[in-house]
Amino acid sequence: MKKHLYIEMDNCIGCRSCLAACTQCGGHDERNRNYVYDVNPLVNRQTIPLMCLHCVNPACARSCPAQAIQVTPEGAVLSALVEKCIGCQNCTIACPYGIPKFDDEQNLMYKCDLCYDRTKEDIPPMCASVCPTNTLQWVTEEELAAKKSQHQLGKWTASHGLYDPLEGDTNVKISLPGILQGKQKLF
Amino acid sequence: MPKDKFFKVIANKKHPNETLVPTHCSYCGMQCGMNLRVDTHTNKIIGVEPRYDWPVTLGKMCPKGVTAYQQTNHDDRLLRPLIRDNPAFKGTKDGFREASWEEAYDLIVRKFAELRKFHGKDSLSVFSGVSMTNEKCYLTGKFARVGLQTRYIDYNGRFCMSSAAAGFLRSFGVDRGSTLPWTDVHETDCLFIAGSNTAECHPTSMFRVWEVQNRGGYLIVVDPRETPIARRADVHLDLRPGTDLALANCMVNLLIQNGYADKAFVDAHTNGFEELAEVVKAFTPEYTSEITGVAPEKLVRAAEIYGKAPNAIVMFARGIEQQTRGSDNVSAYTNMCLVTGKIGRPKAGVATFTGQGNGQGGREHGQKADALPGYRKITNPKHVEDVCKVWGIQPEEMPEPGVSAYEMFELMQNKTIRGLYLLCSNPAVSAPNQNFVRAAFKQLDFMVCSDLYLSESAEFADVVLPTTSWSEDEGTVTNLEGRIIKINKAQEPVGESKPDWQIQVELTERMGRGEYFRHLKTAKDVAEEFRLASKGGYADYYGATWDKIERQNGVFWPCRSADDPGTPHMFLDKKFFHADGKAKLCALPYRPPAEEPCEQYPLRLTTGRVVYHYLSGNQTRRIPFLRDMCPEPYVEVHPDTAIQYGIEHDERVRLYTRRGEAVYKVKIIEAIRKDTVFVPYHFGHDQSINLLTIAALDPMSKMPEFKACAAQITKLEAAQ
Repeated sequence: MKKHLYIEMDNCIGCRSCLAACTQCGGHDERNRNYVYDVNPLVNRQTIPLMCLHCVNPACARSCPAQAIQVTPEGAVLSALVEKCIGCQNCTIACPYGIPKFDDEQNLMYKCDLCYDRTKEDIPPMCASVCPTNTLQWVTEEELAAKKSQHQLGKWTASHGLYDPLEGDTNVKISLPGILQGKQKLF
Repeated sequence: MPKDKFFKVIANKKHPNETLVPTHCSYCGMQCGMNLRVDTHTNKIIGVEPRYDWPVTLGKMCPKGVTAYQQTNHDDRLLRPLIRDNPAFKGTKDGFREASWEEAYDLIVRKFAELRKFHGKDSLSVFSGVSMTNEKCYLTGKFARVGLQTRYIDYNGRFCMSSAAAGFLRSFGVDRGSTLPWTDVHETDCLFIAGSNTAECHPTSMFRVWEVQNRGGYLIVVDPRETPIARRADVHLDLRPGTDLALANCMVNLLIQNGYADKAFVDAHTNGFEELAEVVKAFTPEYTSEITGVAPEKLVRAAEIYGKAPNAIVMFARGIEQQTRGSDNVSAYTNMCLVTGKIGRPKAGVATFTGQGNGQGGREHGQKADALPGYRKITNPKHVEDVCKVWGIQPEEMPEPGVSAYEMFELMQNKTIRGLYLLCSNPAVSAPNQNFVRAAFKQLDFMVCSDLYLSESAEFADVVLPTTSWSEDEGTVTNLEGRIIKINKAQEPVGESKPDWQIQVELTERMGRGEYFRHLKTAKDVAEEFRLASKGGYADYYGATWDKIERQNGVFWPCRSADDPGTPHMFLDKKFFHADGKAKLCALPYRPPAEEPCEQYPLRLTTGRVVYHYLSGNQTRRIPFLRDMCPEPYVEVHPDTAIQYGIEHDERVRLYTRRGEAVYKVKIIEAIRKDTVFVPYHFGHDQSINLLTIAALDPMSKMPEFKACAAQITKLEAAQ
């Protein structure tokens, strides 16, 4: 059964347990691949998790000249393959969320792989396992449908209308790296 | 044990060449379930896996929990006993040399014998803590009374849970921190949470808190700061620190005035309603607003929500308890449940968020100056007799009650106490008025400190004994629900470290008191004696065998016999533990904190935790992830206040009170009252905010007023 990482931003308390847990996942080299931001730290304590969204048509993978970023049948956009990654860092420029990071020593990109060694065995990723607030949840299609229907009953504009309340498509077009391609230097 | 809507059956992740040891976190009262990953080749703990099947926390952990395992094989662990021959180095890390256990034991026995000979038995003392198992807490009480034969034993619960204990004992005649299991929390209709930064201090409660709102229920938060939980509250009562009693009285007044009192419940099950109604009458929203600074309409709205809620839970923590009126605050907020009858049934009641891992169990079994196992009193001859039978001593041999934690430092200062055995605590960071406390440490003739690391307090010791971490021994802990749970051993002790119970057994053997201790050869042996010692007490653990704890996912006390499953919900029969079976409604006039702001010290200083650290930080400051996230303390200041003082974000300023001063980086944030500044308390030496805090004690609980004192800020150049 396909499951999804589901994020309820409202719940985040900024404890960064998801970061600590990410470092504990096998194959993550004790480095977190997710991030939490203080939205307006001089004003209030609002925080948001910044997780890889595992895009349907991921800019990181599209930008990779070496096909080092694989997408699994379940839709997990994996970290770069060691044997393929050429260290060009296109992906770190391409991702509009700043998820892929670059390790200079290993000459290798690393990013969230949705704890694929866990999720392929139907075990939740570390971040969603530990999240104390249910900001990050690992849910079934049925649970997701229930979340959606709950939103349809809401009174907020965002929950009305044509758009799927849980959909993340955007109206912004994002360029892959390479805007200087073919440009002649002036002198 | 019932499973709730959040429970999912999830298989554990299997890692090759590893085993998983199910246990609980070493830190706070949530006692989150976790699996420790143990390498089958090295037999060392190497990581953590969520414990999805633990019904309270379902695999969830805060960043402290996720990284807790890194304590065990940490480079800073003490591997052998340390002796310092030159007392001139006291108060520093210098002058220690490694020694054998035999040499350390010989020195301790000799020094303690000398002190006893020249200054009497009561020149010795034990200062303990509750971040350890019930068995260790129990044995430490016996070690002091039977081993050292001193009256002076107390513990760090005086800085943590003692006000909750005193308040509940007065209201109910019994002190079980929560009247209901945590699996009820998300099913109630209103949470009234006072003085608890739940999101940072008990993060794994948060999914249940948010679920109350998801279900359409209400969240009311009382806090001087807009904490992450207050940010999403339906009503945030942003009171001045130290004014809770006025606010609680106002709530009770409004509940009575607006017809939310349950007269039938009050008549049948409580005493003191008339006096209470009389005292709270003055606390109109307007008058209360003058004292607390909270807008009257918010007070009215909060009382209306609580009053209308079919079920509600009143919850609180150190914010209301660490005050000179802490015990009163506990009873006053508890009055809300009692007046409306919202207690003694599922989904309704009162709970305190226990701060330390075993804050509940550790205060029940005789580490407190006046307490004996099973929540018995050392001043009650019948109680003394019961315990003496288990201990094999005569009642006349039982020492008198001692004094509270902070008062022990006063006795060190005046040389009444000359020898100290300190374990499981770091008062050189956590006690108030540090300048006095550190001077008192230096007055001691001889001090032993048992710890897993060289803590700030160990820097004052003559002998430091390396003890085990929580993961290298087994035993039980009582979590914030009152649920007795099992801590399991995941690896052998590092170096030559030993569990505290074993150290005490070996020491008493050498002190000539072995006959009372030498039968205790394993943690299980201590557990068996401890269950027996609690039998018949209020906190009766007799039926809570390790088997039953494993089988039932914990046992709620009281659990009096083998066939008693325990007591998840308290007072279901509406019987309270006072002699007449009734609860006490307490009429409590308001008085302000001991130290009010003045011209010279116009700001109110309050202290608390951050999510990345635990208590004195002796453990968490050594964990790289946690240290990176919060490497140093800071002072939180409202931007308007910052403008008034001409100070900027990240600037270092001098913060001072009548007792001391320290330099902190400024953190500007609008989410705090303009008249209040906040500093986290997890840091030692020059960074300790307890250099500034006041040692004014609650007369009942002897809890210092960490949460409110008068302070002032100056710019650094002005200070120089």
